[in-house]
Amino acid sequence: MFGTFKVGEKGIIVNISKVGQMVQRRLLDLGITEGSEVCVKCIMPFGGPVMIESCGQCVGLRRKEACLIEVERV
Amino acid sequence: MEIALIGNPNTGKTSLFNNLTGSYEYVGNWSGVTVEKKVGVFKNNKGRLIDLPGVYSLNPLSKDEGVVTSFFLKEPVDRLLNILDASQLERNLHLTLQLLEYEKPALIGLNMVDVATKRGIQIDTEKLSQILGVPVVPVVARSGKGCDRLIEVISTSSNHSKVKRHVYYGNAVEDAINKIGIELIGKTDHSPRWLAIQLFEGNDYVKSYLSDLVEAHKLETLITQLESVVINEYNNVKSLANYIYVKRKEVIEKILKASVQKMKTSEPLSEKIDAIVTNRYLGMPIFLLCMYLMFMLTFDWLGTPLSDVLDGLLTGPVTIGFESILNAINASDFIHALIIEGLIAGVGGVLVFVPQIFILFFFISLLEDSGYMARVALVMDRIMESVGLNGKAFIPMMIGFGCNVPGIMAARTIETPRERLMTILLTPLMSCSARLPVYALFVGAFFVGHKALVVLSLYVLGIVVALILAKIFTKTLLKSETSLFVIELPPYRLPQVQSLWRSTWDKGKGFVRKAGTFIFAGSVFIWLLSYAGPNGLKVDMDDSFLAMIGNLFAPLLEPIGFGTWQAAASLITGFLAKEAIISTMNIIYFVPENASLQGLLSDYFTPLAAYSFMVFILLYIPCLATAATIYKETGSRKWTAFSILYALFIAYILCLVIYQGGKLFGLV
Repeated sequence: MFGTFKVGEKGIIVNISKVGQMVQRRLLDLGITEGSEVCVKCIMPFGGPVMIESCGQCVGLRRKEACLIEVERV
Repeated sequence: MEIALIGNPNTGKTSLFNNLTGSYEYVGNWSGVTVEKKVGVFKNNKGRLIDLPGVYSLNPLSKDEGVVTSFFLKEPVDRLLNILDASQLERNLHLTLQLLEYEKPALIGLNMVDVATKRGIQIDTEKLSQILGVPVVPVVARSGKGCDRLIEVISTSSNHSKVKRHVYYGNAVEDAINKIGIELIGKTDHSPRWLAIQLFEGNDYVKSYLSDLVEAHKLETLITQLESVVINEYNNVKSLANYIYVKRKEVIEKILKASVQKMKTSEPLSEKIDAIVTNRYLGMPIFLLCMYLMFMLTFDWLGTPLSDVLDGLLTGPVTIGFESILNAINASDFIHALIIEGLIAGVGGVLVFVPQIFILFFFISLLEDSGYMARVALVMDRIMESVGLNGKAFIPMMIGFGCNVPGIMAARTIETPRERLMTILLTPLMSCSARLPVYALFVGAFFVGHKALVVLSLYVLGIVVALILAKIFTKTLLKSETSLFVIELPPYRLPQVQSLWRSTWDKGKGFVRKAGTFIFAGSVFIWLLSYAGPNGLKVDMDDSFLAMIGNLFAPLLEPIGFGTWQAAASLITGFLAKEAIISTMNIIYFVPENASLQGLLSDYFTPLAAYSFMVFILLYIPCLATAATIYKETGSRKWTAFSILYALFIAYILCLVIYQGGKLFGLV
């Protein structure tokens, strides 16, 4: 799961359907969906957002949403 | 010929627009700089170019994206100029395929090829053009390279669209498209195929457009049937929209395979910078340090010395020059007083602060151009979330430091209506550049040792009050709905001197222009009010009309430390424009030669009252232009009135606490 990832770790998204509809749509707009390879770039303190990278594109999203994304480590 | 410029956010559409039309519109390095459509004329007069907000898809989520969809549905357009970010071709092509389905002649400008090359991405433009069936022109939007070629192709390429179907959506969907096509025969100028596919994707704008033409229940049943067929037929598909996405993606993968080569490269510099500025622990301190440096430069190190030089020039040679001209032409006392005591004092008093304002605007432009803006939103999100907003709301607020009007406009990129409204209501609390002259004047008079720090405290106070109010609004007026925070973090770019200067100048010239028009006229008016009284002209200022008006409100201001008619009168003019406060003060406290307004102020204010006055100016009311923008953006008189009233209330309460509290602690 994404919640346990540390900075620099990579994974492939296997299930994104638990995330809210709007967030899912935005991530899809940015090309991040099931099958995308993502890498955690940084994690903000105090439960703040995370920054992930996919295909050279950096995206910031909230930790609680990131935790709902199921990711398989590679 | 109407040509629409369209593409993903932050792909350089507005940069290209400026280059192709020779105009100057607002550009920056984050998603959502352009929030409304802008129209310009091509340099060669061959047509009009329409700049649209960036979108990922024609199916909108936020208000600025809705602008694009309504444009496509309602306005005439002859050609489409689609800008692609070469480094993010895959996701850019999703939009391109939708645009091609719109079946208007299209042209592709391939931007950021340099960024792509650095990432090891090689694109065969010939091949891409061949597959898509439209011309593809590589451009560098920031420098204007390739623009000539683009104009040439736009003006010469044939008007006939070669309709080429790129995506075959499978039998079921294609049948449904045809059914809708039959329903629409003779009813619309748009491509029925495009309308149908957008409808299937869940585009609400297209749905409401179609429900005017076709009975709504027919569409509904068609969609439900189709969705169940598709879901039954394919295992991995969850919805109709998802199915369409997958079909497009398959086509895009084929296109990319044929036209793009990828090589391995090292970690880009951008990510190395990010490792520091968005670092867990350093992110926030770095942001605060940047702000601190900005204020030191604006108020201490650079801005104030420059302002002093300008002030010396205006009160010295310029005034003397005007005096001698007026004497030479034997001007009447009235004209003499009007020009020296009214105009030079009023307009000059505002112009003196041009250096400080330009320095501030320079830093805001630097922030926008470099790509740091989106990072600030990321760093601030945790705090914003705790008060019921999201990090994106911080961008309008930062822009509000320059001027509240574009700040409020920038709130359009916020997806949820509740957060957007809240951002609109709170942005006026951000200390805009027009308020800056008041601070500069007062800190110069009362807080010489700590200029930058005192001003910084006011900016921070504005933010803190906004955050506290956000929390209160979330708990009371605007109860929570789901919040959304997904932000694209663009790669850093080294800001170019030319574009930095242009965007600084573009923001700053508004200030200068306002001084020459609004403040000019206002100064004449204020001076007349101070020159005339019930007993005729040339009265003692304390007996003037201005004093009478000011005296009406002065008693109300007594408890917060500045119960003089002068303060009251300048606050009233401050509603028109915040700079007017300064010009009014310059006229009211007209300073005889060899003295300064700063010295004179200490007869009327104590340092504590001065701080209370600055806090009041910071919060008390959005200016006229801001109030008008709030009305335009919310479309509600109620919220506009609310934004004015709550500000007055908060300002008064806070100043009361500061002044009376300060007195209790023995401050004066």
